[in-house]
Amino acid sequence: MTLQRKHNINILGEGPPIVFLHGFGCDQNMWRFVVPAFARNHTVILYDLVGSGNSELAAYDHGKYGTLHGHADDLLDIVRSVATAPVTVVGHSVSSMISLLATNKAPDLFKAQVMVGPSACYIDDADYRGGFSRADIEELLETMESNYLGWSAAVAPQIMGAPDQPALREELTNSFCRTDPEIAKHFARVTFLSDHRADLRFCRLPTLILQCTDDFVAPVEVGQYIHRAIPGSEYVLIDNTGHCPHLSAPDASVAAIRRFVQRG
Amino acid sequence: MGYPAGPEDNAAWRRAPCGLLTAGTDGLIGQANDTFCNWLGYRHDELEGVTRFADLLPMGARLFHQTHWQPLLQMQGSIAEVQLDLIHRDGRRIPMLLNAIRRDGPEGYTDEIGAMVATDRKKYERELIDARQRAQTAEAGQRALNDELAREHRRKDEFIATLAHELRNPLAPFANVLEVLRLRPGDAALWDWGYEVLERQLGQLTHLVDDLLEVSRITQGKLVLRREHVELSDILASAVDAAMPPIRTAHQTLTTALPPVPLTVDGDRTRLTQIFCNLLNNASKFTPEGGAIGLTAMVVDGAIVVEISDTGAGIPPEHLERIFDMFSQLHAPLHRATGGLGIGLALVKGLTTLHGGTVTARSAGLGQGSVFQVTLPLVRSAPDSAPATATATRHEALRKSRVVIIDDNVDAAETLVLALDMLGHSAQCAYTGLAGLQLLERAAPDCALVDIGLPDIDGYELVRRVRAAPWGRDIVLIAVTGWGQEADRRAATEAGFNAHFTKPIDFTKLDVAIGELLRR
Repeated sequence: MTLQRKHNINILGEGPPIVFLHGFGCDQNMWRFVVPAFARNHTVILYDLVGSGNSELAAYDHGKYGTLHGHADDLLDIVRSVATAPVTVVGHSVSSMISLLATNKAPDLFKAQVMVGPSACYIDDADYRGGFSRADIEELLETMESNYLGWSAAVAPQIMGAPDQPALREELTNSFCRTDPEIAKHFARVTFLSDHRADLRFCRLPTLILQCTDDFVAPVEVGQYIHRAIPGSEYVLIDNTGHCPHLSAPDASVAAIRRFVQRG
Repeated sequence: MGYPAGPEDNAAWRRAPCGLLTAGTDGLIGQANDTFCNWLGYRHDELEGVTRFADLLPMGARLFHQTHWQPLLQMQGSIAEVQLDLIHRDGRRIPMLLNAIRRDGPEGYTDEIGAMVATDRKKYERELIDARQRAQTAEAGQRALNDELAREHRRKDEFIATLAHELRNPLAPFANVLEVLRLRPGDAALWDWGYEVLERQLGQLTHLVDDLLEVSRITQGKLVLRREHVELSDILASAVDAAMPPIRTAHQTLTTALPPVPLTVDGDRTRLTQIFCNLLNNASKFTPEGGAIGLTAMVVDGAIVVEISDTGAGIPPEHLERIFDMFSQLHAPLHRATGGLGIGLALVKGLTTLHGGTVTARSAGLGQGSVFQVTLPLVRSAPDSAPATATATRHEALRKSRVVIIDDNVDAAETLVLALDMLGHSAQCAYTGLAGLQLLERAAPDCALVDIGLPDIDGYELVRRVRAAPWGRDIVLIAVTGWGQEADRRAATEAGFNAHFTKPIDFTKLDVAIGELLRR
């Protein structure tokens, strides 16, 4: 299995490399409103985390991906094989922690990182307010169990068995969030039960935190916590309701990221 | 308000048989129809313009709304068949099936949401999910069972191959003998030889078939134990008797160590003997000529533990679990034409289990010898119980000697009495030198075991007095001491003892010594 097949890697444009990592729930399509702005003068690298989107689901090893380090190692593999210069990494939500782990492991491979709606720990812990309890996360898993979006047993084999018919996939409802339900549940558990607060202070890379004014998943105080914990990090607040400013406020997102990238 | 006006005058909208509402991109509800308000127990003014759609969701669903619902609406402009719980004003959760479309208008985007109550559907889906979970569990169990059956089947095939081979083995000598006798019909010596060969081979064949029948009776639950209270020492003695010929032939040594007290088992004498005989046979079969075999019994945590050890072929760790399965002989026996089907251990396990016991094996690996451990429930019987008497009677016929034990350690004296009883003697004891003297005079035993360190007169003095008395010249006197120096032995002999034993006593040796001394 090639790395390209494994991660459904797509590369656009030319220039300094910038890699975009999607968060929990959907796939690289989430960057569709942001990518054109950067592809004009960057080499934009997009891929799906293993277990999401059109990645190779067979490569989903529950052991390896039992922590975010598995995904961080994948990011390093991809950067090593695809990029020829230090890379700027833009990670949304859980992927901002994946990029943190990767840049901590091999800082030389990276130039800078942008964290979009990051949270280092979703669950409240003593004085720390992550916003959720363990029961909330269990409830999310149950909700996901009732919503196997676009993944009934009837269509799944067709999707997997017909790689030469991409049209088929696009006709499916909710296809952007489609994935194997068992993997989705596992990834949800790994994501929302992760705690990487202790990794923040080791970050030495220029880091931008992109925080939404009204984000249920990653509230403002969580973003501020990360800003305080990462030495020298920058913090930009975007006027946006929701967890996906790159979808609902793409212009503001692009502007903030571009300002940060161009200066570096 | 900046929200598109709903068709307020439209009764079809208001009273539609499904919940309908609009929401801005910030999630704030613009308009909701009566059905939706009624289902959730809110007035219009409690929802419209003041409540966000996501506020009606429980936490888990709100997370899902953020991670799936919103991105989907933003990317594909619609979302279909999402099932979420909405919270009624009174706190109840109402499962709903939701569709949404995002419309572009002059005021920006508006989401139009349709909701259907899906209580039954959710219940049914929950049942389906649970059923699938159960099916997956059952399927995994079924798979494991199939694998086990396949393995069993393979073993059976191998077994049949071995069985055919083993059954054919005796046939060649049969044919040879018949041929020789046909060629030399008048040779009496050959007839004797032929008779022996046929008898031996027939024995082998019979043994094989008997084992087979027995195992199949156990596996079919048809074997019934004839239970009684039996002494372990009797069982082990018969097993050793039966197992000795091949051990002797192979010049192997058998060392036994049994506890000095009677141990009673509730079991079938024949079957118990079979268990230990089989294990001893096995030990001999898989141990090289001149090797050592050990038989020990002890009481551990109120259970009888018998161990049969050998210095033979050993068992690789990966086979330890399987060797008690039927048809799983690991390798050919080392020597002699014993053959074997690998059902001996299956038989041992079956019989042990029938007795409420367990059998396990351990080995440091190939070539490292092995130890088979049989654990059986111990029956605590009264000392004068029937089986004990039976044992004593049986031994009386063989060789009964009367023994007096003189030892100030009461436990030591009493256990020795028990041990000697077990060995077939009749014993009494005294706890001081003077009391011992009186007992000796009164009981006039064949033999006395005398501790040296007694509280009043010591063992040497006691022996001198016994030898001086008219009744005491012929008593066999054995010194029992904690000291085993040559000087101690000499002192004992000089005082008039016939023999000297060091504690702890090896009962087998003691038994032999008493027998020998009394014969003299």
